[in-house]
Amino acid sequence: MDTTQLLKGVLDLAVLAVLKDEDGYGYDILRRLRAAGLDEVGDASVYGTLRRLFQAGFLNSYVVPSEEGPHRKYYGLNAAGRDQLHRAGKTWRGFASTMDALLDERGVAA
Amino acid sequence: MNTVTEQDAYLAAVRAALADLDPAVRDELLEDLPQHLAEVAAEGGSLTDRLGPPEAYAAELRAAVGVPRATGARGLDERVAGTVRAVRARLGVADRRLGPVIGYGRASEFLRLLRPAWWVLRGYLVAMAVTVVTTTEFGLLPRLGGSTIAAVLLLAVCVPASVWLGRRERSFPAWPRRAVAAGGLVLVVFGLAGFVDADRRGNYLDNTQSVSVDPYHYIEDVYVYDENGQLVTGATLYDQDGNPIRLGDLYRCSDAYRTGHDGTSVRDAVRGLDVEPAGYPYCPQFAPYQIAPRPGVRPTLAPAPTTVPAQPTATPDPAVPSPTAEPTVTPVPTPSGAAAPSPTG
Repeated sequence: MDTTQLLKGVLDLAVLAVLKDEDGYGYDILRRLRAAGLDEVGDASVYGTLRRLFQAGFLNSYVVPSEEGPHRKYYGLNAAGRDQLHRAGKTWRGFASTMDALLDERGVAA
Repeated sequence: MNTVTEQDAYLAAVRAALADLDPAVRDELLEDLPQHLAEVAAEGGSLTDRLGPPEAYAAELRAAVGVPRATGARGLDERVAGTVRAVRARLGVADRRLGPVIGYGRASEFLRLLRPAWWVLRGYLVAMAVTVVTTTEFGLLPRLGGSTIAAVLLLAVCVPASVWLGRRERSFPAWPRRAVAAGGLVLVVFGLAGFVDADRRGNYLDNTQSVSVDPYHYIEDVYVYDENGQLVTGATLYDQDGNPIRLGDLYRCSDAYRTGHDGTSVRDAVRGLDVEPAGYPYCPQFAPYQIAPRPGVRPTLAPAPTTVPAQPTATPDPAVPSPTAEPTVTPVPTPSGAAAPSPTG
């Protein structure tokens, strides 16, 4: 199965999750996602998702000057973002366990 | 130096791929891109190798943000096309939803079956339009010049012509086909307006007919009886405005006079009626009752005596031409109730 299709549905949640403990700028967030195993996530998808979450009011952002290049725009969760992470996380876990159970019943190999 | 130009070129290409967006939205989307390109370039390798072509990056960014394909920067025709597309999509949904309700896969399948019916109706409407334009009358038949035969002939031409057109219009080029569709729309509006008008006129005719039906049309004469059941002659009726009420047939008794009264000449009788009717009744000799039955009196008693005393009173007069004849007549007007039974019993 093409993971990019699956990613589309959960990238919001993934981005919220990697920002839970520490704010980050775009490329930083991309690296965290890849480090977590989401190798196929596209650069533009992450930036687009950040933009959309920011517009939806889940993120705050601030600019940090950088010595070695252009300044960096950092993103972090605000209260609404944490709330959204909590709800979306629950939804995902429910969905994932349902899918797991469905596959287990039919003996599909993990 | 080289890397900066590559980043600039990549950035410019992505910007160009998002050219249809509102400039403010586009700038927001691209806000992080220079920094990102710098980070990627710092790790080595060409930007296109790492990120794919700028157009693909733009498309991915657009999809991830969920920006609709365009906003304010679109031209009018693009917006119209967008609206048409949206309406079509809605209609498509309605088509699929409605279909099962009427027992078809799609509502349009059913409408397609109705197409020949529309052709026939269209021919009829064309005939009606021709008739209305020439005679300005919208009835049920296109009576050209008021002729039924013309109506049938006109229908015999227009309906098959419309069907013929219907079977071929799909193979027409775009513009003639649109003209036919527009004409059909005009005909539908014309037909609706015409039917509403004809319906209203039909109702109006019905009303006038029911009004013009005279509930007293069968009346030939009017007989007025007084409180004692005696026939009143020379009575005149007036309505609330003081206008005389004229009922019945003034000349009803011109024949009766001719045959019934031997002494009077026809001319006299007719002349007498012509001058001015004396009043109701026109024909006193045809009175339905000599003494009318009244609500207070039992019908079994009243009719039998009423006819009897009327004649006896007439016969004694010539039989006994005594001067007391006049006084004996006077009691006659009072044979109501108690007086009537006494002569018989």
